[in-house]
Amino acid sequence: MNSHTLLLLNSTIAQTLDYAAPILFAALCGVISENAGVVNIGLEGIMRFAAFFGVWGAAIAKNPWMGLLWGIALGIILGLMHGYITVKWAGDQIVSGIAINVMALGIGTYLLQAVFKTTGYSPPVPYFGAEVNRIHFAFLKHIPVLGAFSDLTFLVWLSLITVILIHFILYHTVLGLRIRAVGENPQAAETLGVNVFKIKWFAVITGSVSAALGGVALSLGTLSSFTNAMPMGKGFIGLAAMIFGKWTPFGALIASLIFAFAQVLQLLLQSTASGVAKMIPLGFYLSLPYFLTIGALIGVVGKAVAPAADGIPYKKEG
Amino acid sequence: MKALEVKNIVKQFPNVLANDHISLSIEKGEIFAVVGENGAGKSTLMKIIYGLYTPTSGEIYVFGKKVKIETPEDAIRLKIGMVHQEFMLIPRFTVTENIVLGDEPHRGMIFDYKRAVKEVRELSERFGLKVDPTDKVANIPVGIQQRVEILKILRRGAEILIFDEPTAVLTPEETEDLFKALRRLKAEGKTIIFISHKLKEVMTIADRIAVLRRGKLQGVVEKEKTNEVELARMMVGRNVVLEIPHVEAKIGKTVLSVRDLTVKNKRGIIGLKGVSFDVHSGEIVGIAGVEGNGQAELVNALIGFTRPVKGKIELDGKEIKLLTPYNLRTKGMVYIPEDRKRRGIVLPFRVRENIIMGQHTLYPFSKNGILNDSEINKFATKKLEEFDIRPRNIHVRGGNLSGGNQQKLILAREMSIEHKFLLASQPTRGLDIGAMEFVYKKLVEEKKKGIGVLLISLELSEIMGLSDRILVLYNGEIVGETTPDKTNEEELGLMMLGLKRQERVLQ
Ligand SMILES: Nc1ncnc2c1ncn2[C@@H]1O[C@H](COP(=O)(O)OP(=O)(O)OP(=O)(O)O)[C@@H](O)[C@H]1O
Ligand SMILES: [Mg+2]
Repeated sequence: MNSHTLLLLNSTIAQTLDYAAPILFAALCGVISENAGVVNIGLEGIMRFAAFFGVWGAAIAKNPWMGLLWGIALGIILGLMHGYITVKWAGDQIVSGIAINVMALGIGTYLLQAVFKTTGYSPPVPYFGAEVNRIHFAFLKHIPVLGAFSDLTFLVWLSLITVILIHFILYHTVLGLRIRAVGENPQAAETLGVNVFKIKWFAVITGSVSAALGGVALSLGTLSSFTNAMPMGKGFIGLAAMIFGKWTPFGALIASLIFAFAQVLQLLLQSTASGVAKMIPLGFYLSLPYFLTIGALIGVVGKAVAPAADGIPYKKEG
Repeated sequence: MKALEVKNIVKQFPNVLANDHISLSIEKGEIFAVVGENGAGKSTLMKIIYGLYTPTSGEIYVFGKKVKIETPEDAIRLKIGMVHQEFMLIPRFTVTENIVLGDEPHRGMIFDYKRAVKEVRELSERFGLKVDPTDKVANIPVGIQQRVEILKILRRGAEILIFDEPTAVLTPEETEDLFKALRRLKAEGKTIIFISHKLKEVMTIADRIAVLRRGKLQGVVEKEKTNEVELARMMVGRNVVLEIPHVEAKIGKTVLSVRDLTVKNKRGIIGLKGVSFDVHSGEIVGIAGVEGNGQAELVNALIGFTRPVKGKIELDGKEIKLLTPYNLRTKGMVYIPEDRKRRGIVLPFRVRENIIMGQHTLYPFSKNGILNDSEINKFATKKLEEFDIRPRNIHVRGGNLSGGNQQKLILAREMSIEHKFLLASQPTRGLDIGAMEFVYKKLVEEKKKGIGVLLISLELSEIMGLSDRILVLYNGEIVGETTPDKTNEEELGLMMLGLKRQERVLQ
């Protein structure tokens, strides 16, 4: 392999991982929360909030780690909100999710102006993608494929670790068994003395934190600022990745990588387009990942089965 | 020693007094049966004992101690276990996972699946309830699923075991197995509470029997000192004649004609193989067979749920080309399903809504797409009276009716639609004898009115008593055709097991 193709290969993989991180965090939010039977379409809004507060925290402390903490705090707060409505009061999960999304839209735009005095995007802040904050494994650099892992951000590594962590929790711990039981048949779990509400609370909050990490990965990953368009449907693509991945963490990983690769491919195609391909409007390339998402869903949706009690509010019988 | 005592239990639901000062006392090591009509309050009482419902008033004593049972957790702690009327299982989990859930063997946080499997295996051997611990619950038959339920509560150390209509979903062989298990549990000193509508079963297995009627305790009798007739009278408050009066069939023209019908089942395997038969107006044709021999496939094809691989269905002399539920129903077919909750009614809908479903687009119930509430209410009120549906309240939600009343609701709806052909698929499943008698009466009335009835049933007595002609289904084929006066239950049994075949000539 000559050094040029090697570089291209490794950088394409690295870039794919980079693009995948926010989608993956969002998908994992869905995985953990829906396995306990709670749908959280508010993850789009949670990502937006966390992306903004991450930047704000990083700006104040001049340190991306503070941004990360702020983002996580936001995730917990919004998780509490979603849980309060959907778990505590067995309210409609979609309505609560939409409320979070609408709130995020307005408040995000307002805060951007109020805090940074700008409209389109925030000024740059210290971020995880900066050379000093990246995680280097120089010795990997010239190995095909593995070389992609020689220079990644903390958040990308965290997204991969979270996959393993959630997989481990769901399929190898007592807690995970109970989470899945609650998502399949809460009555059955209840009659066995499982505290359904506690489990749902746990899943909703953990999930929201994951979505928040996705938001931070957007604004403090390779970028170093909050843009007002964030998260540009990344949350919803994450939900699609969750479905495509059949509600499993590793499935979500694979799906997120595919969607992210479509984005990288789109950039690649755009930059290398020549001749007739140049006449294809930019919009086509931009929408490629989204078409792929829809296509993937159409192809897989018949086979994917959600947890049996997914999205159904749980109330104790009288 | 008394295992369980309840005193003056009252449960008031918004519309019904489900339990009205019920007091019972159950000895350790006995099999105690509770019988009563649909809606008598049996399940409610059991759910109170298991902590799923909070009683309006009353006291509970377990092994002599006064207790408060507010959640199933409390019940489990007091060594009370319950096998519910609808199984509380997770189909996607394995047998082991289902059994240990809530009290899992573990090392730290980690779920020790291997040890769980071992424990389940030991448990299953100890109580003689055979299961394969690593099977997925979705893939095992109902009888085994029930064993999983029993093992689940035994593992929690249950000393008092409540069974809510455990035999309603079982085949006769599975029922036999269950009874063996129950006797074994009794020998181990466990106390068993057993609910059933089948008085024959109660007389076989129980030591003492409590009879409930409309929320009140009618009395507790010893098995030795009673009989089925007396029990039935206590339950219903009058003499019940389950003897079906024979009405000579006045056979008319063909209303349903099925030719060479071949249907795949859910798993994509051919479950019904080239079946042909006719149903004429004014007759009841019974389909006998062991469950799983093509009944579900036949029903699904007849109601337009699954498209047959090949074959022809004619209703009232006209072939139905596109077999959809709408096409079939508008051409004169009505249907009483075996699974009330899933196919018969919409649980969250009110009685008044459920009772016009399917006719809701028609005058007088709606006009230009707008529902006419007063007409609907008038109709619903009339039907409640006519079919004796309790409570007499058209605003009760379908899901809050007892099983028997749900069935009556379906009967009321379907029979008031204009029709020529009635498909009744296990119409008495889970019904008390009063309701059964009612269904039988209605089916015979249909026949008298010149409707053609196809009756699918697992109960041979029902088939023998009601049918004018009997078809036997085995392994997806009709292996025999006969009439009740030319055969007996033994011969039918042999045919149902595929041990005897009869040549049929279709006229
Ligand atoms: N959750 C509920 N809300 C309101 N009414 C209820 C509820 N559960 C039961 N009921 C009513 O209480 C009465 C007793 O019902 P229950 O289920 O105990 O009857 P059952 O004896 O078990 O009948 P079946 O033999 O049909 O199972 C019925 O009239 C029923 O409609
Ligand atoms: Mg009941």
